[in-house]
Amino acid sequence: MTVVLVLSLPFLVVLARRPVLRRLAVRNARRRPREAALVLLGSLLGTAIITGSFIVGDTLEASIRRSAFTQLGPVDEVIQASGADAATKVAASLADLPPKRPTAPTPAAGIAGIAGIDGVVPMVRLDAAVATTGARRRAEPQAQVLEVHFDDARRFGGDPAATGMEGPTPATDAAALGKDLARTLGVDEGATIEIFAYGNRRSFTVDRVLPRLGVAGFHLGQGSESPNVFVALGTLAALAAGAPPEAAPPTSLVLVSNAGGVIAGAEGTARVKGQLESALAGTPAAVRPAKQDLLRDADTAGKDFTQLFGSIGFFSVLAGILLLVNIFVMLAEERKTELGMLRAVGLRRADAVGAFSLEGWLYALVSSAIGTIAGLGVGRVIVAVAAGIFAGDGISLELRYAASLGSVQTGFVIGFVISLVTVVLTSVRVARLNVIRAIRDLPEPTVHRQRLVSLVLGALVMVAGAGLTVSGVSGNEPHAALAGPALAGLGLVPLAGRLVPRRPLVTTVSAVVLAWGVLCFDLAAGVFGNPEVTVFVVDGVVLVAAAVALVTPNQDVLGRGLRNLGRRLGGRSGKGEDNLSLRLGLAYPLARRFRTGMILTMYALVVFTLASITLFSHVFAGQVDDFTADVAGGADVRVLSNPANPVPPEAVRALPGVRDLAALATVEAEFDLIGASGAGGAADEGFEPWPVAGFGEDYVELGAPALDKYPPRYKSEAEAYRAVLADPSLIIVDDFFLQDGGGPPEAALALGSEMVLRDPRSGRSQRLRVGALAESGFDAPIALVSIESLRAVAGDQVVANHLRVATRPGVDPQELAESLDGRFLANGADAVSFKKAVSDGLESQNQFFRLMQGYLALGLVVGIAGLGVVMVRAVRERRRQIGVLRALGFGTSSVRRAFLVESAFVALEGILIGVLLAVLSTWRLLTSGSFGEGLEFTIPWLQLGLLVLLAFGASLLATLAPAQQASRIRPAVALRLAD
Amino acid sequence: MATGVEKTYRTGADAVGALRGIDLSVSAGELVAVMGPSGSGKTTLLNCLAGLDDIDAGTVLLDGESIHEMSDARRTRHRAETMGFIFQAFNLIPVFTATENAELPLLLAGRPAKEARAAARDTLERVGLGHRLDHRPTELSGGEQQRVAVARALAGRPLLVWADEPTGNLDSETAAAVMSLLRELHAEGLTLILVTHDEGIGAAAPRRIVVRDGQVVADERRAGAVSS
Repeated sequence: MTVVLVLSLPFLVVLARRPVLRRLAVRNARRRPREAALVLLGSLLGTAIITGSFIVGDTLEASIRRSAFTQLGPVDEVIQASGADAATKVAASLADLPPKRPTAPTPAAGIAGIAGIDGVVPMVRLDAAVATTGARRRAEPQAQVLEVHFDDARRFGGDPAATGMEGPTPATDAAALGKDLARTLGVDEGATIEIFAYGNRRSFTVDRVLPRLGVAGFHLGQGSESPNVFVALGTLAALAAGAPPEAAPPTSLVLVSNAGGVIAGAEGTARVKGQLESALAGTPAAVRPAKQDLLRDADTAGKDFTQLFGSIGFFSVLAGILLLVNIFVMLAEERKTELGMLRAVGLRRADAVGAFSLEGWLYALVSSAIGTIAGLGVGRVIVAVAAGIFAGDGISLELRYAASLGSVQTGFVIGFVISLVTVVLTSVRVARLNVIRAIRDLPEPTVHRQRLVSLVLGALVMVAGAGLTVSGVSGNEPHAALAGPALAGLGLVPLAGRLVPRRPLVTTVSAVVLAWGVLCFDLAAGVFGNPEVTVFVVDGVVLVAAAVALVTPNQDVLGRGLRNLGRRLGGRSGKGEDNLSLRLGLAYPLARRFRTGMILTMYALVVFTLASITLFSHVFAGQVDDFTADVAGGADVRVLSNPANPVPPEAVRALPGVRDLAALATVEAEFDLIGASGAGGAADEGFEPWPVAGFGEDYVELGAPALDKYPPRYKSEAEAYRAVLADPSLIIVDDFFLQDGGGPPEAALALGSEMVLRDPRSGRSQRLRVGALAESGFDAPIALVSIESLRAVAGDQVVANHLRVATRPGVDPQELAESLDGRFLANGADAVSFKKAVSDGLESQNQFFRLMQGYLALGLVVGIAGLGVVMVRAVRERRRQIGVLRALGFGTSSVRRAFLVESAFVALEGILIGVLLAVLSTWRLLTSGSFGEGLEFTIPWLQLGLLVLLAFGASLLATLAPAQQASRIRPAVALRLAD
Repeated sequence: MATGVEKTYRTGADAVGALRGIDLSVSAGELVAVMGPSGSGKTTLLNCLAGLDDIDAGTVLLDGESIHEMSDARRTRHRAETMGFIFQAFNLIPVFTATENAELPLLLAGRPAKEARAAARDTLERVGLGHRLDHRPTELSGGEQQRVAVARALAGRPLLVWADEPTGNLDSETAAAVMSLLRELHAEGLTLILVTHDEGIGAAAPRRIVVRDGQVVADERRAGAVSS
């Protein structure tokens, strides 16, 4: 806010000490309330869009951070070890540490001696299926069964209320159900549930329902829900006692609480983690900085979503800036005579700038304030829509609207600064006028002589552009590679203007820049591979600017064609006056090139983005079969199950609809990219949790998912897979590997990239190298190593809990998947056909695309408001001309028609430029391989048609009122007022 | 023919009588100069007689037809087919060329485009702008712009031309040239009603009407006046 105050200071001084300027600014703003409202509308939307994007980020961050309270509470670090009794062993290795204070004799009492820790509690966990009993059973295949001493857990962290633990530790055959699981199962206290693990089934009576809070809500996975059930100590060990060899043992955990509250405690993680690891050296256990990771993920997700919405919204913000420039140039034109008179009677140029800027400052201040409030509403709407999308997604994140004061202030400040800078710069430009010409309202003469300053500036811009191009292409920096040629072209125009006529020069330069913007993804694939969202933004701006620059000097060709067409049609129908309306309607936009160019740019920018999203959405939605084939390989159904009670592969193979299957083992692991964190395996600062699957020869034989890249020495994908099977140091990943947040993949790994895989339970690790890159799909994330390689790291956790099933001809894969869910309920079977998984994924993505379209529609409002302002002002500017035309015999309907033709021409031209550019760039982008090979590009004619119709219709509606107003002008009144 | 024409302008509670019972008759082929001080009602009279503005009382008959009883569309059509206008501020359409401005009334009167274009070019040639056919108003001098306005008023061969201070914005030499052109056209049979401050123009007109405070205070026909 200091920025706002500092920037406002000169204006406040002018307000207080320069009554003439104050009067001019305030009265001019008040004189035209309708236009002032349109100015405010156009500029407040920019602020609303910016604020809205911050609110989305705030909400994401706050929603994830909320899990710090609901799913971790006092838990800051989690020590994981494999086996039900491991926690005791872990604690024993820490027992030598001197206790800082007397503690209860728990198995992990020794850890309490570490400085900065205020509590530890051991816990045992197991993933298992939980179901109700009776005829109409409800089940949760992936529930989390936990054992913890309730009194210890309550004492843990020093704030019993934050742990969510109520009552004593459940008695044998009793269970305390987490709220989420109780809701899923539809049960309450007194109900009977069954837990399925290790081939056993055991009944429990629900003796209470615990809130999703702290230890009671403990959950380390993604998503907001905690499907927990707490049972008596020793229950899992008893269940595991008869476990078959192919079942994973329970995981032992030691929950560690740092000194400080839920959030502040995480600040001590780095120190505590180091001490814990020193104490645990040689013990098969690893320390996971659970809360620090969660808070970092929240921060990343918040920033990513702010960037995503901010980047896409930038088009609308830019449209808002152009609207302001256009309005202020028009204001200056309208007041040219008045300004000339004022200058003649002694108003200095600086004062003229001051009067205009002061008026702009008033607009900026009011519009930023209203825009910020509107932004809160925009954010709320986005969050409400996104909440539905996130709730339906696999990770099920509960979005809760949040707006931080910082975001609101930042939105306001950015909106204010953008508006103010725009109006001040425009004011400086428009205040440069010749007093006599202004008083006599004569047009400024065309200057053919190149001024030295423009030559120097042109040379500088061209050199800068060339430098950017070279550095961008050689350094694989797509933003520079895109913007460089555009800047070089911009600089070339004034430089070469002495030698080449302007029209062919501008046409050629803009055509070259346009071609580069469209073809760069093909021509420099290395630079533009896996582009970030901001690259699309720069590309969009370059394309639109080049297209408008190309069209503007050649408008007359288009105008001539339309006039000829109109003449022919008019001649045929005998309505010469209609043709005259067309000519008049076209004449103004063709003559006022700056104004028309600004509106074209506004429309084209917004429509380009809307159309691009429509095209992306359509193309991806049409790839269900291709994506399914890529993800599924030779399989049709994917079955996940609990590692403690996996679905027996042979039982599935024996089913009549099953042709063949392959078994994988999927475990939660941690990865650290070497080179990314710079630490490699030496320090685990950069270790991030990510699932990994171990595969065998059956996976390849059945038909593995498609690969995107593999070393050329392998003749086929199967050979590449077998190379990974043969070499335990190789891994296969996809573009989304280790990616946080939303949006497209940011930076994909290359073949040969190195990383360390670590088992979070045993702490064992293995150095790996990327042997092949898989196509990104809509199924589970892909990180594949040979099963032997995985077993060497994850040991007894490696069980066949992931099946890929091929169906027999005539069998519906989804029907089979649903029957597998029912048949193997006890195993926590979660089966889905690959086609459904891909369709559901695409549907979620499409919902997100629709959300973005709704958000961008605000930009369209900016464009339409801009056109409305132009037309309202046009009516005022042309009163005299309308009066003359009416005197000469121009009918009221012809006047109305001429205005409608004018707005229709500009709007349609802008809309078509936007759509055409979107089609061209999306076509090149999607078929260049940046989004995977083999994407079939088709145009959604219906959706694009609707977009064009909607934008066009809304534009005409916005012009209807000024057109009607123009038609009602009485000739004598117009002439009298004008003369 | 105008009978008892009254026109009052109202601004809030204030009412100003601009025309107070004007009776006037002009025959075909006349050249009438309407004179009077500023605010006397000259331009209002021209606007009301031409049907550009409504009247509060009285009638204006053109060829026996009451112009103010016509619908707006018919009155507009009537203007396009029978009248031409010349204004002090030229009032050309800035985005049209000289030819396009001159052909406007013809097109509005429903004449075919080719015929309109040819007539516009001929008229522009006649007013001495053959070399400026494709220039826009901003590329022309004040005198040239007024000549385009004259060409626009005459290209459709109207029966009647209304000129409101046609020389008001011109230097004396250009003004004389424009007046000479108008007299020449009048001599060919054009009815011309012009509003002017210029005593010289008024003195040279065959008929001079003086308006003061919304009333005709003098209507002088002078046989010795220069009509061509």
